[in-house]
Amino acid sequence: MRIVIMPPFDREFFGTDRLDLAATNLFDLVGQLDALAPGFATIAQVRATFAIDGVVTHDWASPLANVTEVILLPRVGGG
Amino acid sequence: MNKLHISTIINGDAQEFLCDPTATLLDVLRDGIGLTGTKEGCASGDCGACTVVLDGQMVCSCLVLAAEAQGRTVATIEGVAEGAMLHPVQRQFLEHGALQCGFCTPGFIVAAKALLDRNPNPTETEIRYWLAGNLCRCTGYDKIVRAVMDAAAELRQERMPA
Amino acid sequence: MNAPQKQDGFQVVGTRPVRPDGVDKVTGKALYGTDFKAPGMLQGAVLRSPHPHARIRAIDTRKAEALPGVKAVVTGRDFPSLQSLIMAVGESASDIVHVARNCLALDKVLYEGHAVAAVAATSPEIAREAAALIEVDYEVLPHVLGLEEALADDAPLLHDDVFTKGVSPRPDKPSNASMRVEMGKGDVDAALAGAAVVVSGRYTMEPVHQGYIEPHACVASWNADGQAQIWCSSQGHFAIRSLTASTLGIPQADIRVTPLEIGGGFGGKTTVYLEPVAMLLSRKAGRPVRLAMSREDVFRASGPAPGAVIDVRIGADADGMLVAAEVDFKYHSGAYPAITAHSGVSSAVGHYRIANTRLIGWEVLCNRPATKAYRAPGAPQVNFAVESAIDEIAGKLGMDPLELRLKNAVAPGDPQTSGVPFGMIGWIECLEAARAHPHWSAPLGPNQGRGVAGGYWGNYGGPSTASVSLGEDGSVLVTTGSPDIGGSRAAMAIMAAEVLEVPYEKVRCTIADTASIGFSMVTGGSRVTFATGKAVVDAANMVKDTLRERAARMWGVAAADVEWRDGAAHCTGGDKAGESMAIGTIAARAIFAGGPVSAEAAINAAGWLPGFGVHICDTEVDAETGQVRVVRYTAIQDVGRAIHPDYVEGQMQGGAVQGIGWALNETYIYNAQGKLDNPGFLDYRMPVASDVPMIDTVMVEVPNPDHPFGVKGVGEVPIVPPLAAVANAVARATGVRMHDLPLSPDRVYAALHPEG
Repeated sequence: MRIVIMPPFDREFFGTDRLDLAATNLFDLVGQLDALAPGFATIAQVRATFAIDGVVTHDWASPLANVTEVILLPRVGGG
Repeated sequence: MNKLHISTIINGDAQEFLCDPTATLLDVLRDGIGLTGTKEGCASGDCGACTVVLDGQMVCSCLVLAAEAQGRTVATIEGVAEGAMLHPVQRQFLEHGALQCGFCTPGFIVAAKALLDRNPNPTETEIRYWLAGNLCRCTGYDKIVRAVMDAAAELRQERMPA
Repeated sequence: MNAPQKQDGFQVVGTRPVRPDGVDKVTGKALYGTDFKAPGMLQGAVLRSPHPHARIRAIDTRKAEALPGVKAVVTGRDFPSLQSLIMAVGESASDIVHVARNCLALDKVLYEGHAVAAVAATSPEIAREAAALIEVDYEVLPHVLGLEEALADDAPLLHDDVFTKGVSPRPDKPSNASMRVEMGKGDVDAALAGAAVVVSGRYTMEPVHQGYIEPHACVASWNADGQAQIWCSSQGHFAIRSLTASTLGIPQADIRVTPLEIGGGFGGKTTVYLEPVAMLLSRKAGRPVRLAMSREDVFRASGPAPGAVIDVRIGADADGMLVAAEVDFKYHSGAYPAITAHSGVSSAVGHYRIANTRLIGWEVLCNRPATKAYRAPGAPQVNFAVESAIDEIAGKLGMDPLELRLKNAVAPGDPQTSGVPFGMIGWIECLEAARAHPHWSAPLGPNQGRGVAGGYWGNYGGPSTASVSLGEDGSVLVTTGSPDIGGSRAAMAIMAAEVLEVPYEKVRCTIADTASIGFSMVTGGSRVTFATGKAVVDAANMVKDTLRERAARMWGVAAADVEWRDGAAHCTGGDKAGESMAIGTIAARAIFAGGPVSAEAAINAAGWLPGFGVHICDTEVDAETGQVRVVRYTAIQDVGRAIHPDYVEGQMQGGAVQGIGWALNETYIYNAQGKLDNPGFLDYRMPVASDVPMIDTVMVEVPNPDHPFGVKGVGEVPIVPPLAAVANAVARATGVRMHDLPLSPDRVYAALHPEG
């Protein structure tokens, strides 16, 4: 599964904008990303949004089997 | 500081109060008498949220000393409706959705009523300039101006002999 | 005008009934921030820094404490010691330490107006007098206000623990650049080199304020047992609860926040300034304490929107296809890190198909109040630069500016800047509606020019809780935790009435305190009608299912044999077929068939869609005075589906006029000493009724398939296009392109008379 990491998370945490990981769901993925970049999990809950195969989701428990791409992007603040 | 004893008529009822010589009419209406419909947006006479009518004259109550109300009549938003009957300006504000947050609304309604009391047939431009002392940040004024125009039409209709 | 009209098979959706809270608000009965009083309440005052940047050596509060009538004095030292903790506040995130320090400075003041200490006393006069008796020993430090000045190597540093995020390798020295965001694709330089036309320019503006008419205010009461109540107006009382609890280090359940009516927010009331301070004062005094800002306080110390310096280069081929765009902008973050650069980068050119882009945004700390969200935060500034440049390209190519935009517009399925594809957006429909609008082809008068601009905002969904319950008479109560700033109670009631097929007037809507309903995110991000609306619809559907099930049990038939229609259960099978039971009848007997009828939905709503808008503006420019007058204005927007069209139009009209103010008049003016010179409505000149014409609106409806009624967020989009729409109109009226907002008379005059 391709993980596309959008700015600023690529440089802020991972030093790359592409990773290849297998994860059962987004909780699992966030855990793996946190192992790569300690501290990521804490901020993921407040700053990150995930799109699974092009669809933004808030359900981190949804299974990632058969998913080809997860995009990690910043949550955009609104007024 | 010695308090002043002031006798006034507010929304048709005799009202007495004690106030500091420096207290504004807005302070006394809101904090002394509990008429919180009149709002404070700036305390400098720039926003019109505190608009009341003093002896028939539209004023910013933040710029009037409470002591100046001695022997005079004050009309606030709380007195615009007649009992349970909304004034046409109030009704038209509701019909048009001419309020969003509603904070500036009392000032606008008092000011609009004051306009229509003296000019039952204002043009759009006259309404816009009359209300230019009242700030609204939510509506862009469009629906407010339309509400006032329709309230004016309604009032003219009411006043026509049967 | 308000006669209900049936539309698209809906009974109530799309009608314009009177809002449930309307009479309270036109008669002065509604209670806003400063209207609430608690028994025995003290009045507070806040001492604010006169310096834009200074170290606090010592604070002596003894004289203030000795003043008769003073019951409590607090400083930043009264906050518990805090660990850095990033918390979600609305959709943005803040470090709780910064939130606390912004409420009361600890070691340093970072802007003029930064709160330093606070007093509670038996009268406001005594509180103010006591605040003035507090002696603060400041070591004044050099300050910095400008974006590029703050990035200079020798600039005064605001924080020694802020390192630029978003750069690699991670910097080892602290910086006033709190974040850099870069996105892009392709080869910009090569594409620009091959372009038929390239325009470039530097666009600037100073911060502007949201300008809500109601200043911030709250009452807090913290009991000896640790439990507290807060009454305040805000865009989200759950956010007030979490921020207050976190900054004070107490459990959220110990704070009950009751929402008062809110007098405007626009993003600026999504944080705490006063509540934790009022809590500290209340604990010390043992009594409820009111804190309220003056208008000057609001300007000096509550969050404005960032000013900006934006460099743009955009190229097109001879047919008007955009081939490359380079945008590099810097936004004021103010005293503490903000995160609007994200949205600026992602919305800069996301409305066009451009193969080669380089988009860079910087957040810059400086000695100004911490910036806060203001309607589509981060988007209008960069949109002003991009849409001005697009207009210039159209001019150079001799193309109609709407045709140029149509040619390059993104459509559903096209990738957003983030790579995630756009869903069912209505941008092309908006551009076509603009082209078809009579305004676009109307003749212009002398000295007039017509400008057009388009833009979008991503909107949001997020968590909301709503309950729907029935009175014993079958009337319907909707309860949410989403403060109503612009008529959302009406939208909630309409949606519940639509689901239950009952008259709108049978439904009433309450906004409950934090102890009376589950969590909801702030009223912001244009999310309430979408996300809280979804929760209301879910809860109403649960109630409908319960009613069918109860009717089935009363009739002794299977639930499948009962259908819901026109606010009643109808039996379609068994020996009761043909009978019906109205909602009131079922509700009256419900407790004998299972209990009261009530349902709560708690969701995290996804499936929101961006909203797009196109604004057309006619201006008339007086060359003698430099004054610009907006003479005609039309706002066109894809709203998905308008639940209550009056309040949708109202969002569009209000956003447009805020944008007109931003374009023509509004600006923060700081002097060389770092002090704000215009902290009042006289000199911070927002539009008044006589400044603007009617704002014509066209609601384009491309329904959102992920909302039961098709809703898209509408509140923020309308402030995105106006800055460029106005500036483009001025450029066409005068033949002079101006790059610096606001287009105030002195600047326009100077541009028209370069000889002086």
